[in-house]
Amino acid sequence: MSQAVTPMLPGLRDPANRVSRRAVRYWTARAAVGGLVLAGAEIGLAVGVGFGGWQAVALPVTLLLAIGYTVIMPRWRYRVHRWEVTDEAVYTRAGWISVHWRIAPINRIQTIDSHRSLGERLFGLANVTATTASAEGHVHIHGLDRVTADRLLDELTIATGHTPGDAT
Amino acid sequence: MTAVDGAVARAEPADSGWRWLSPRSLVVRPVTDLIRLVPVLAGVLFFGSSHGFGGYWTVVFAGLAILTSIVRWCTTRYRITAERIYLRHGLFSTKVLSVPRDRVRSVDLTAHLVYRLLGLRRVSVGTGRSDRRGGGSLHLDALLLADAEGLRGLLLADVSPVAGALAAAAENGEAGQAGAAAPAAGIELARLRPGWIRFAPFTMTGLVIAGVVLGSTAQIVNDLRVDPANIAPVYHLVVRFDALSAGGRALSGAASVLVLLVLLSVAGYIALFWGFRLVRLGDALRVSRGLLTTRTTTIDIRRLRGAEFSEPLLLRLVGGARCLAITTGLRVGEGAEHGGSLLLPAAPRPVARQVTAAVLATTGRAGGAARQLVTGDLVRHGPAARRRRYVRALAGALVLIAGGGLAWWARVVPAWAFAVMLVLLPLAAALAADRYRSLGHLLSDGWLITRTGSLVRRRCVLSTDGIIGWRIHQSWFQRRQGLVSLAATTAAGHQHYVAHDIPAADAIALASAATTPLMTPFLTSAPATP
Repeated sequence: MSQAVTPMLPGLRDPANRVSRRAVRYWTARAAVGGLVLAGAEIGLAVGVGFGGWQAVALPVTLLLAIGYTVIMPRWRYRVHRWEVTDEAVYTRAGWISVHWRIAPINRIQTIDSHRSLGERLFGLANVTATTASAEGHVHIHGLDRVTADRLLDELTIATGHTPGDAT
Repeated sequence: MTAVDGAVARAEPADSGWRWLSPRSLVVRPVTDLIRLVPVLAGVLFFGSSHGFGGYWTVVFAGLAILTSIVRWCTTRYRITAERIYLRHGLFSTKVLSVPRDRVRSVDLTAHLVYRLLGLRRVSVGTGRSDRRGGGSLHLDALLLADAEGLRGLLLADVSPVAGALAAAAENGEAGQAGAAAPAAGIELARLRPGWIRFAPFTMTGLVIAGVVLGSTAQIVNDLRVDPANIAPVYHLVVRFDALSAGGRALSGAASVLVLLVLLSVAGYIALFWGFRLVRLGDALRVSRGLLTTRTTTIDIRRLRGAEFSEPLLLRLVGGARCLAITTGLRVGEGAEHGGSLLLPAAPRPVARQVTAAVLATTGRAGGAARQLVTGDLVRHGPAARRRRYVRALAGALVLIAGGGLAWWARVVPAWAFAVMLVLLPLAAALAADRYRSLGHLLSDGWLITRTGSLVRRRCVLSTDGIIGWRIHQSWFQRRQGLVSLAATTAAGHQHYVAHDIPAADAIALASAATTPLMTPFLTSAPATP
């Protein structure tokens, strides 16, 4: 399916797999909470200081931006985020307005770990991070469902276990 | 050679050999503190001590520090077995650090003045992991000179037998005097020439030292509890300064700051780099330097992934440049001058080019083209990249000017201040032009060359063997122009080297040419499966 559409970068094909559909809900929830906190802070400030001219403008603008962000960002992000693990490499694409591609060879991976925040656990999600000897060479895969993440963790742990040396 | 033999002999009974640091290192702390206390003691003696307790507190803290150093010495042991180096310390909870000997990448000996007077050296054993966490290296503070050199010979013999033997021979000849005129073993790649000191004022060393000097002067003045205005020469200076007109004040103030900075940077350059030598010893590069504090860094050539030819703007204007090693296990970046990766301090550009090329040639992967890697023309990034340089620089300037305009409108600043800000526009244009001139990349025979930056222009030559992954970044604006920034990640140096704003197709071609087996499966035009 990914081969059918033209890839985002000419010459470089898109990674094979999309992230879990649940990630959209998770990102939406996170964005909504962030927007609510911001709006709440502004309302709190307005109650404390009193409604001046600029608060009357700032609050609607904040709400509008927050709603726009909450609606658009997760869907856009879902279309961008992709990942693929082959026998040789981990390949990911992430971002929304700005897009990052990352490629790390399996034989240079030093550690694999998976971290689940409270929010991710509520939505049954997990992420997997592969670190290499380069401090700038980490590869993150966000928004995987838990089963896929566990399977990936096992596969990568076995694959990297085969590599001798210190992978620098 | 005796030093090495001694160290080997003592290392041989592998299981029982916990050793102490040199007892002389017990003296280091008290002597250092005593020197630091001189102003306070002088103050107490000459000015009396009725002004406060500051002096006493300094003495109490010094006493505590001395006590701590005694405890530390008594509880510290180290041991070298056939496989690992152990360092044990701690009074209540004993902590054992250990480093596998085959992970040792560099051995540094440093000594400030007190160490040198006592014949001691601080040994830092660097491993490949030290670039990410501070815990990667192991410090022995301090050993007798002969023991330290023996240890270095022993550890480097693991890295390279030739280097180890040569190192020992060289050290015995030199008797630890870095840069002494003793005959050198190995091949000398560079040596400080006194004429290079002319580049010192164009480095940032002066600013850094000025900060330190100001800080410690303020502390001493504070400890002494003297009002500086009561010291006669200072008082006269202040009076004369007050008598000047506003313009005169600005001029004389700027002039004296400038003179001070120049003096400090020259002094700093001499202190840091006096006796600088870069020598190749078998499979290792050895950098030794320093006037008061001497420092010797040894870099395993097999860990060398490339070299960086770096030209900070001021230095570039006067035809100078520096050279840094791109190597795993040594940090590059802020404070690189004080870190171990410096291969050449500010020096004439031709010398820096030659040294960079010579260093690249030591890897044996550059063939005869090492010089070409440093001086050859690069692929330019094209008109879209040039436009982005201008847009970004001018947008930044316009934001600042808009802020200035707002401040003028709000009558926070006078009109002339706003007018002066307009100078930012041509400055930004000049910066953009220079930033574009710097941009370039090239893949040449197993080497990835990237050049970028204006305030510090860096030409980084990285071996493709050292590339352990890729990052491609495309912002919204880059996408509209079909550009990407391509970063090769590596375990060495800055950890990633970026070709900014190159056309997307070029980026993919570059990455797949540099690491074909890695990239091929991800190309659209790839054959099904090889």
